[in-house]
Amino acid sequence: MDWVFFGEISLAGLAMGGLYALIALGFVIIYKATRVINFAIGEIMMFAAYLFLAFAGGMELSPWIALPLAVIGGSILGGVIEKTMIRPMLGESPISVVMVTIGIGSILVGLVEFIWTADPQLLPSFLPREPVFIGPLYLAPKIAYGFLIGSALLIAYLLYFRFSRGGVALRATASDQAAAYSMGINVRRVFNMAWVFGSLAASLAGVLVAATGGLSPQFGIIGLSVLVVVIVGGLDSILGALVAGVFIGWLETVAGAYLGGEYRMPATFLVLAVILVIRPYGLFGTHEIERV
Amino acid sequence: MFRNILKKGRRLAGLGSLVAALTVVAPAMAQDKEPVVFGGSIPLSGVFAFAGIHIHAGLTDYTNWINSQGGINGHPVEYVMEDTAYEVDRSVAVFKKISGSSSPATYYGDSTGFMKAIASELNSQGDTLMSGASFATALTDNEQYPYQFIPGPNYSQMFGIILEYIATQGEGGDMPTVAFVYSDTEFGKDPIENGKARAGELGIDVVEEIVTKPGSVDVSAEVLKLRRVRPDYVVFHGYVLSPINEFMVQMRQMGLDTQFMGTFWSSDKLIIDKMGADADGYMGVMPYNYYDSEESGPMLDALRTQAEKSDPEAGYRPTGYMQGWFNAMVWTEVVKRTLDAGKELTGDNMAESLASIEDWDTGGIIGIPVTVRNMSFPVGRIWRVNAEEGRYEPVSDWIHLD
Repeated sequence: MDWVFFGEISLAGLAMGGLYALIALGFVIIYKATRVINFAIGEIMMFAAYLFLAFAGGMELSPWIALPLAVIGGSILGGVIEKTMIRPMLGESPISVVMVTIGIGSILVGLVEFIWTADPQLLPSFLPREPVFIGPLYLAPKIAYGFLIGSALLIAYLLYFRFSRGGVALRATASDQAAAYSMGINVRRVFNMAWVFGSLAASLAGVLVAATGGLSPQFGIIGLSVLVVVIVGGLDSILGALVAGVFIGWLETVAGAYLGGEYRMPATFLVLAVILVIRPYGLFGTHEIERV
Repeated sequence: MFRNILKKGRRLAGLGSLVAALTVVAPAMAQDKEPVVFGGSIPLSGVFAFAGIHIHAGLTDYTNWINSQGGINGHPVEYVMEDTAYEVDRSVAVFKKISGSSSPATYYGDSTGFMKAIASELNSQGDTLMSGASFATALTDNEQYPYQFIPGPNYSQMFGIILEYIATQGEGGDMPTVAFVYSDTEFGKDPIENGKARAGELGIDVVEEIVTKPGSVDVSAEVLKLRRVRPDYVVFHGYVLSPINEFMVQMRQMGLDTQFMGTFWSSDKLIIDKMGADADGYMGVMPYNYYDSEESGPMLDALRTQAEKSDPEAGYRPTGYMQGWFNAMVWTEVVKRTLDAGKELTGDNMAESLASIEDWDTGGIIGIPVTVRNMSFPVGRIWRVNAEEGRYEPVSDWIHLD
């Protein structure tokens, strides 16, 4: 066995997994706080990546100014969606809310096609292009630097949720909405905050993934494939999203390299099937017991 | 003076009215004959819209141009289409609607999936000839698809042309090595088996096969695989843009001197526009002259004039436009041959007319006379990106497969 090759493949997979973890985090934050499965997360990613294209490509701003602007734009979009379309659905059946998020996804695709046309796009290059070597192992620079930027946001999030008042409010609401409400926490504001933070993570991941693989109105499908990560990790577990994201990224890449690209998805879905049989609530998800 | 101007103005207005009247009457005279209908399931939205919009423009412009030339043997041409969003079920519904209301003689299909799905209905109706966006090898099976043709070489033939070019590039008796990179789709897999067989016949070693998801994907692991085998050429198929750019950039970052090539839908100017200098040296097989090539010919000039006339702001017209125009050109030729033979416009008669096309001068759209073989036009040329000039330049002669 060529261990250098295995090491390089694994590194590439782990780095890509880091970006999956970031998208999954966006998914989980929203679900954990609001119990809404946001099927529009991929389209929010896509929209943020197009915003980056507009700022860095169209308006020719420095990519390092365009990046935060695009990410903030994506997070504002998440907040607006929550306030105008999700909040009025409070109390409706979960299926209805899910359908609304699917509809939002379609609207965003249409909007993007209307503004930026359906042409495939490449983002202006903003990450260093020099090859990265970790010991003897080569790692594509875009993946390496994308992973570093994504990791920085992940760490910032973990610290925020652990130590800040907003983070505590969010965790309290996720644990028990009624109790959080009775303790004076503004639950509606927390819901909005969850959408803003979730969309922010997804937006950053969107720009980083699009910088690696290109952009088109169909880009949002990546968000759906991250659903596997979220289910494996546990829909309401931030730790699960991180661990499963990195693991699925690695597995996909190794399966693709050794078995062929057509086995990437079957490999991940096999893991999904096994996890669903053994732990239907995911590796780190909450095991809810309902007594009737 | 003012009176003079008024007088001249009146004269001009009178002249204008006469011209306008003639313009109205001329088409009316042509319209004495039954119109020939070109139908189309056109992907103006959805994943293929980037090409569909230009295909539609090519079909529209050709229709206007041919009508300005008096139609086909005096029959005006009508182009009837609807958007399909590149969904097979919608394409089928559009076909049923248009074939029910307008009886199209020829029809543009937007995908291989649609053209396969509609085959049995097309065969049973027997009154429409179809071509479209697909260059699928399977559609050149005359037994199964007797009323469908490919407006260029099919994907296997494109691989054949690419491999013939590669075979000429060996130095000192060494045959170059090649790797195939294709998308995990029906489209992507189409020419691979035939391509491997043809490479074997030419003595070219296929050292690696990489399958990826189409579109936006990370390919760093696949690039690492290619680094191990160091192919002289990588041939892409089943993509429009991504991940071709990532393969090229990453492999060059690794110091590999591999050359990169692609088939029709991977060989538009989009690659140059989006990749910039990174696109330099990329090669594609193209059956038609590029809109901005230095080639000329009566039909190519007419195309450019019509394109300019219909949208002066558009500038360069992509390969989808050329493809749409060429489809309609072939339909016209087929309908004309059928009418000239005094036959009805049935599927059988039009397929027979198509098969009779031999050494056909396309007026510069294709650089050499073309002959139909198995319902396709197995001809193409290798073009290389000159990033500085921002266009493709020919690096081979026209290659016409037997």
